[in-house]
Amino acid sequence: MLEWLSADPLNGIIITITFFISVIIGRYLRIKRAGENKSKLIDSRIKILFLFFLIISITLMGHWYIPIGILVICIFISLRLAIFRIFGSKLIFPVLLAFFILVIQTLANGTNKIDYGIISVSQEGFESGFLIFARVVAAASLAILFLSTASENEIIETMRWYRVPITMLDISSLMSRYIRAFSMEAKKMKMAQISRGGLSGGSGYLKKMHDIASITGALIIRALVRAELVYRAMLSRGWKHGQLSLEGAQALNLMDLLIGFILLTGIIILIGIDRVMLA
Amino acid sequence: MHISDGILEPKWIFFWYAISIFFIGLGLRIINKRVKEEPVYLPRLSLMGAVVFVISVWHIPVPVTGSSSHPVGTPMSSIIIGPSATVVISAIALFFQAFVAHGGLTTIGANTFSMGIAGNFGGYFVYRLLKNVSPLWFSAGLAGLAGSIITYLTTALQLALSLNPGNVLYYWKLYSLGFIPTQLPLAFAEFAFTAYVIKYISETGCMENISPGYPGDRFSRNALLLMFSIAAIIAIGAYIGYLGGVNMAGTDSTVESMAAPSASRGGIRLISYIGEPLGFALIGITGGLITGYFWSELRRRS
Repeated sequence: MLEWLSADPLNGIIITITFFISVIIGRYLRIKRAGENKSKLIDSRIKILFLFFLIISITLMGHWYIPIGILVICIFISLRLAIFRIFGSKLIFPVLLAFFILVIQTLANGTNKIDYGIISVSQEGFESGFLIFARVVAAASLAILFLSTASENEIIETMRWYRVPITMLDISSLMSRYIRAFSMEAKKMKMAQISRGGLSGGSGYLKKMHDIASITGALIIRALVRAELVYRAMLSRGWKHGQLSLEGAQALNLMDLLIGFILLTGIIILIGIDRVMLA
Repeated sequence: MHISDGILEPKWIFFWYAISIFFIGLGLRIINKRVKEEPVYLPRLSLMGAVVFVISVWHIPVPVTGSSSHPVGTPMSSIIIGPSATVVISAIALFFQAFVAHGGLTTIGANTFSMGIAGNFGGYFVYRLLKNVSPLWFSAGLAGLAGSIITYLTTALQLALSLNPGNVLYYWKLYSLGFIPTQLPLAFAEFAFTAYVIKYISETGCMENISPGYPGDRFSRNALLLMFSIAAIIAIGAYIGYLGGVNMAGTDSTVESMAAPSASRGGIRLISYIGEPLGFALIGITGGLITGYFWSELRRRS
């Protein structure tokens, strides 16, 4: 049984060394893979440019196959990134909107109608409706997927790199904070008003509107005072308007540019397939 | 109102972007100038941006049009921070909304134009027009109502221009009608909401740019109530008639043939010269001014 040890030790040594080194490398790769955020493989600057052109190319498409294909890919990516629940919940409204378009186009558009008793539908209307349905849903799924894989700071950073005016960036960064604070504060004030007998089901429309408006008015006044105080505190700590300049922004590396080039070429190929092969 | 990605044609995407960028540029110039003089103007702007975002993110899908209905919030914002700054904050709010699948990235230009430029300036114009001659709540409320309706008419026009370039006027009317069932109640809600909010802010006295306006009396309230009631009855009746396929040409021919067969077919010369809508508006204004001016005198004599 231990013949290999006395007669052929080389194999034993080789297998031992390769095995243990592979164990170390394997473990390292696993740790590296676990620490790596798959959604950050593409630079957000490239992602937003790609997103914009891809959505425009979707608008140019004359067949529903590619937009539906894009939707399927987005669903697959969201499943891989384990964000399908968020992705799905945000996609409900665009799907509903697109479904309305599909129904209306099927019922109202087209000349050759097939009568089904109380309703008459047209093949032509269904085809055009389904194309718009596919475009709207595909474009919305792309935008949702982008947001799910990019933070607010990253988006603002990307806007900065694209030379969006500094004032707009300052307003954006303050706004993104205020939206959350404003929504939370509004919920609190609404609860307080309900507990004091306001916004009750029995009160009339004008009374309810008065209650909602008084919450909003009070909220605006309260938030304005607080926002100004916070802003003064920020100024006193050295924050300056226009601080978000382009200095210190990370340049795009060769790999990012290459990925961008491949992605944009992909868009052109997709339009080509839609125009030539599917025609 | 927010048009989704995938609906507008690329040439219209770029056209609305170009117009909106021009207005955003103007708005930024004004903001920068103001921020230099008064640094706390920046958080005030951002806060109003957050308010516009929250108000306009609540939406109802609208069949036919491929869009949605929601309150706009920009007229209220323009009263508080000014219309030029409102263009900038609505563009930013729409950018953030594009990522929650409300509106779209490629349609930010079109949506900014309808909500942040047409609705905002339209509402503000109404506010400025009525500010010194009507109670504050009324001028603010009417600004909200007008802003909301103008926004939707503009969206309907944008959809008609892009989707039906061959018959823009017909489809503009069709898309506008598609918005009515959801948008009209929302526009009235926006009237009440804007009126109450601005009145509330004015009563606290913490915004120097919002003056109390002309104090309304019982006469003004009754006149407004009567105006709304009659206008609502006419609007509902016309909509029901339109849905029923009634000929909307009016009763001119009946009057001409039965009541006044000898009258001139050309009608009143002034109206045939300037057109019916303008002519009737002129008659309404003249009649209203004369009645209002002599009302107290007539009441006293009677």
